[in-house]
Amino acid sequence: MLDNPGTATMQGAAPDWRSVRLARGFVTVVVSTVALLVLCWAVAPSAVSAGALAGSLPFAAIIAIVGLGQMLVVQQGGFDLSLAGGVSLAVVITTHLPSGNDAALPSAILLALAFATVAGVANGILVGVMRLNAIIATIGINAVLYGAVFAVSGGVPRITTPLMSAIAGGKTAGIPNSVLFALALMLLVSFVLKKTVVGRRFEAIGANPAAAHAAGLRVRLHQTMAYVYAQLLYCVAGILISGITREPTAFQGDSLLLPSVAVVVLAGTSLLGGRGYPISTVVAAFFLNQLSQFALAVGVPFSAQTIIQALALVCGIGVYSVRWKRSARTRASK
Amino acid sequence: MSMAKPMKAALAAFALTTAVGATAAMAETPSWCGPNEASLALLDGFGGNSWRLVTTASGAEEAAKCPTITQYEYADGQGNTQKAISDINSMAARGINALVVFGDAGPAVLPALTNAHRSGAVVVPYRVDVGGAEGENYAKFIGSSFVEDGKSWGNWIKEILPEGGNILFLSGPAGNSQGLDELKGMKEVLDDKYVFVNPEPFAVTNWDPALTQQVLSAEIAKNDKIDVIVSDFGPSLVGALPVFKEYGRSIPALATSDGNSLACFWEQNKDANPDFKLFTVATGNDNVRLAVQWAVALATGGTPPADNIFKAPVYENSVTGQPNPVTCRPDLPGAIYLSAELADDAQAKAVGQ
Repeated sequence: MLDNPGTATMQGAAPDWRSVRLARGFVTVVVSTVALLVLCWAVAPSAVSAGALAGSLPFAAIIAIVGLGQMLVVQQGGFDLSLAGGVSLAVVITTHLPSGNDAALPSAILLALAFATVAGVANGILVGVMRLNAIIATIGINAVLYGAVFAVSGGVPRITTPLMSAIAGGKTAGIPNSVLFALALMLLVSFVLKKTVVGRRFEAIGANPAAAHAAGLRVRLHQTMAYVYAQLLYCVAGILISGITREPTAFQGDSLLLPSVAVVVLAGTSLLGGRGYPISTVVAAFFLNQLSQFALAVGVPFSAQTIIQALALVCGIGVYSVRWKRSARTRASK
Repeated sequence: MSMAKPMKAALAAFALTTAVGATAAMAETPSWCGPNEASLALLDGFGGNSWRLVTTASGAEEAAKCPTITQYEYADGQGNTQKAISDINSMAARGINALVVFGDAGPAVLPALTNAHRSGAVVVPYRVDVGGAEGENYAKFIGSSFVEDGKSWGNWIKEILPEGGNILFLSGPAGNSQGLDELKGMKEVLDDKYVFVNPEPFAVTNWDPALTQQVLSAEIAKNDKIDVIVSDFGPSLVGALPVFKEYGRSIPALATSDGNSLACFWEQNKDANPDFKLFTVATGNDNVRLAVQWAVALATGGTPPADNIFKAPVYENSVTGQPNPVTCRPDLPGAIYLSAELADDAQAKAVGQ
């Protein structure tokens, strides 16, 4: 592990700028995104018009935020299927409890964050402490979260408050606020992961829990916290959705689960755990969103839209599979 | 999802209670309610939106009009085909006499319906085509004339755009039969002067407000001229329509189905958007009433209704005010449908507000 330059920075808190050069996921995803933008300009210019971007960027921001949450879990070798329930619960709490009344919004947001923390701790204990399979544990918590969604909303959408709509749906200096939220969260996650002791330990544990345990790190605590951070990020995404969409359904999280995993994989985070790539994850979210805008702008049938997205994912995953084999071979030869 | 079950049971019981309360004054027994006692179940493929809650409450209200219906059950398939099938099987196994089924999953639920039919239950699927044949797989299918809706929209479009124009048609999931029928209806009325700018046969939105917003912004970017938007679920458009402001364009004319939130949105935005005319057909909550009448008539030995297809009437027209002007009730929740027979406050209760 020490020989592998990719994990060299995990040995201490000091930043190693070589890791920036080595983030091949970043290069891949940026090159793909630029290529896609060029393709849009050439084939379907409407997909990159100011109006289309303003309309679609908030949704890219949402995918970016849930992607960051999923990334933290994947970094610990886990998988969080309770994303759908977490996002949906945040949506219904922030639309149903205030019921159009701005004054009740702050308490609803606090309540949503509290629920997210509880759900995250529950996931974390089941997976990190009790060692349940992550997929099974989080699917169970997802069902509980949906129980709460029904209890709060009865499955009915409610119109959002004007304040929430102004905050999440508004713009600052021409940039949708939701995008600013996503960028701020990306910077926060990057800073904590890459520049703080907690973050460095978090990545080290993801890369090799046994070695980290031997080094005296609190492996279970960090693994548990991954689910808490993730739920908090899903919660923020849910709160933003409740402002971006005027009358969100009670199941708004369902369609985000697959994109969240897709952006994590496209950004180059190994599903086996280890290093996370917050910036690449956010760029991948923009890429995925732009891809669906491209398909819509070209006006291909719905079936073809789905196929285009699936192919992009297969290509993305293919790129990394090839890289893994090569680096494994390099490692073996050392 | 076991936690949701008591919720649903409570909801169904509550809906029935309100329904009984609302109709207690109505002493006269309708002709479709026969002398034999029977139990009735309403089986939903997906019960999680306000439209379905109002529809469920309407079904319960209709069933409560018949005193020989001694037991009323409700089950929600939660959009899960497997659960919808098991709901049908379990109701049949419990010996419920009449099943009214919203078969969202289409032909996938047909085998379960056929089994229930063969075991002697009166099975009445409604609104969504489940395939099969009357008398063989189920007792009676109560369709909704989506072709008729398409014709109503087409006629209105001809009135407001006699010289032709560009139409953007949005419907639900890819290939849903409702959207296809509506398109058929519109094409019967509209000639080549009217161009559909969406991908054939319609732009797919899954009736999801977030996806609708994305699809609409892509279509606006692509098409400089959209004269009229046709959507078969108006309320899901409400969140998306402000996208036109991003482009500095007026919201165009809109032909759709009714909803209180849509009417209020029109009220608030008509002045800033000179081209924003609104035309709605009734969203069709009362389709379930016709299905319940048929199921009850067949199970209790009553006289079946004359109709076997529900035709949604034209509801609002902002241009002529006929048959109704656009009606916004800001005092009531946005997620109710003033076109439905169910009383406004009963609807508000049904959607939990």
